[in-house]
Amino acid sequence: MTRLNTRISAVAAACALVSHVSFAEDSSLTNPAISAVLDGYYQNTERPMAEREEGFGLGHTEVAISANIDDMFYGKLTAVLEVHEGETELGLEEAFIQTTAMPAGFSVRAGRFLSDVGYLNNQHVHTDAFSDRPAAYRAFLGSHYFDDGVRLDYVAPTDLFWAMGIEAFKGDSMRAEDEHGERDFTNLGVYTAYTKIGGDIGVSSSWQVGLSYLRNENGRLTAHEEHGIEPAADDGHDHDHAHAAKYTGENTYVADFVYKWAPNGNYKYQHLTVSGEYFKVTDFAPLDEHDDGHLHGNEHEPDDQTGWYLSSVYQISPNWSAGLRYGQVNTQELHDDHFDSQKLKETEVSLAWHHSHFSTVRLQYTNQQGTNFDGFTDDNIITLQYVMTLGAHGAHQF
Amino acid sequence: MHINSKVIKASFAALALTFASGAQAQLNIFACEPEYAALAQELAPDAKIYSATTAMQDPHQVQARPSLIAKMRQADLAICAGADLEVGWLPMLQMKSSNAKVRSTEQGLFFAAEHIDTLDRLASVDRSMGDVHAKGNPHLHFDPDRLLQVAQALTVKLVQLDPDSKGKYDAALADFSQRWQVAIAEWQQLAKPLKGKKVIAYHSSFRYLFNWIGMEQVGDLEPKPGIPPSTSHLASLQSRAQEGDVMAIIVASYQDERGAHWLGERTNLPVQVLPMSVGGNDDSEDLFSLYRSVIGLLLSLSQQ
Repeated sequence: MTRLNTRISAVAAACALVSHVSFAEDSSLTNPAISAVLDGYYQNTERPMAEREEGFGLGHTEVAISANIDDMFYGKLTAVLEVHEGETELGLEEAFIQTTAMPAGFSVRAGRFLSDVGYLNNQHVHTDAFSDRPAAYRAFLGSHYFDDGVRLDYVAPTDLFWAMGIEAFKGDSMRAEDEHGERDFTNLGVYTAYTKIGGDIGVSSSWQVGLSYLRNENGRLTAHEEHGIEPAADDGHDHDHAHAAKYTGENTYVADFVYKWAPNGNYKYQHLTVSGEYFKVTDFAPLDEHDDGHLHGNEHEPDDQTGWYLSSVYQISPNWSAGLRYGQVNTQELHDDHFDSQKLKETEVSLAWHHSHFSTVRLQYTNQQGTNFDGFTDDNIITLQYVMTLGAHGAHQF
Repeated sequence: MHINSKVIKASFAALALTFASGAQAQLNIFACEPEYAALAQELAPDAKIYSATTAMQDPHQVQARPSLIAKMRQADLAICAGADLEVGWLPMLQMKSSNAKVRSTEQGLFFAAEHIDTLDRLASVDRSMGDVHAKGNPHLHFDPDRLLQVAQALTVKLVQLDPDSKGKYDAALADFSQRWQVAIAEWQQLAKPLKGKKVIAYHSSFRYLFNWIGMEQVGDLEPKPGIPPSTSHLASLQSRAQEGDVMAIIVASYQDERGAHWLGERTNLPVQVLPMSVGGNDDSEDLFSLYRSVIGLLLSLSQQ
């Protein structure tokens, strides 16, 4: 007992000595960081696989709360309000905890969070320079892939930034289309592995490259059954699939890069961001059940689904930024017993006005060229959008 | 069970202490701004020191870039201005670098602003006021007395992290304090003609310097903190400058000079870029030469 008492008094003494402890985020139980994002727009028509509808609408309206839970854990909750066909839906985009005190550069994140595959995916959409994610993201990741799961991340103790991690997710939103609702999907559907390397070139330039692999146990399409009902060509209003990936496969490979430049490395006035990603989605053709795991009809084996984009955004002054993005996606749509190749090309120009760091008004023009894409041919899209943040403003990722 | 948890906690604390004290022969220091890298150089000359920013970079707007994550991953101590100056990037670096040592000020995180009385604290903050800091102005390194207080607190932190070298840190602080106090007396003498001088400046970057010298900033090129100079705002400054009592327009080394030159041309006021930190001009090689350079440049303006 005496030993215990001395320990307790030692703890008490330590508590008394530490007048106040603060973390950089400086959000505590009484003062968590609370923020909201308001996103509204007008758009003359829709982009395929995108969440924004025609006419006036609200984009990602989100409310986030985050704080250090204690000296071991950080937590964040992001609730998203979305309006689809006049109905307001409340979604949880993030609800995770992350360790902050694991040794040797390890950290664990658990709960619902954005996967760290690719470059854009772990960034919040309101920080994007364009109103919608590139077509490849919309096709293969449902715009941005968040899910319930767990991540183990490691950062190497090197001057060259080197991080790597593995994730496991439920994978519901990444399930292949199941028109009859009879398929027995795996509950632990998605595994990912990623690595990122980055550094500086002089004082003005910084770069990062990444490689990711996403294994989707439920990504292969269900074998076609005779007399199956073809789903309607237009899936854009399908409620259950608002965030679901439209085109899936068992294996997805992503290569990404980002390069940023600012004069003298001073990001206050001018800076340039060039980024690009390449996606390859394979093993999506249904297996022939009568032939024990062989692709049916080798002569009809479809090409892999691919997509890429290249984006360049220049901040001309603290008040103005302009962006140019080209992206395309090549997907395979299953019709009865064969695949139809589809292609969507998007050329986009955006101009944004920023009154402060917290308010953006953006005008964007998109030219789409589609080949067999959901029966879609080509179109010109104009989007006028505002994105504004209130409250505590969290730090941005690179 | 209660006893067990206490024992476990105590042994964890002991383990942490062992790691903190014994493992590092050379302390690895991550400084958010060059002035704190320079201060660390004075107080821990044997340490490996890295500055996340230069005097040409606005510390309000820094990218949480890969190289900084990699440096913070290896740091034993992170020294930053605090008062929310780095709130846009430091939390992200901490999150991404997974380095428990620099998570809290209880261990290897040091905020200079927590060890002094900051100027211009605000009881309540509203975004319509611009990008203001409720905890006061964070650009405190231009007050030599406050910086000395920071040096003393930083030495306590260095000793806490590396108790074996206490003698060295105490000696370094004694040496620095002695040289610094001599320099303060010199600078005060030197800066006497600047007392009461009025300037228009960009942001409240030199708030502490003007406060210490006894100068007055009568106008800010920014209409509101963080909002870049607008034509209408510059026009209002033009009429203020025409009252004839303004000595010069002051811009820090990482700030855009265009607004200042626009105003300078219309009011015939000289525009002077001052180094915001060590490395902000050729003369500023350490904290001493930074102060000398800034005071010298202001004096040359007052003699015009």
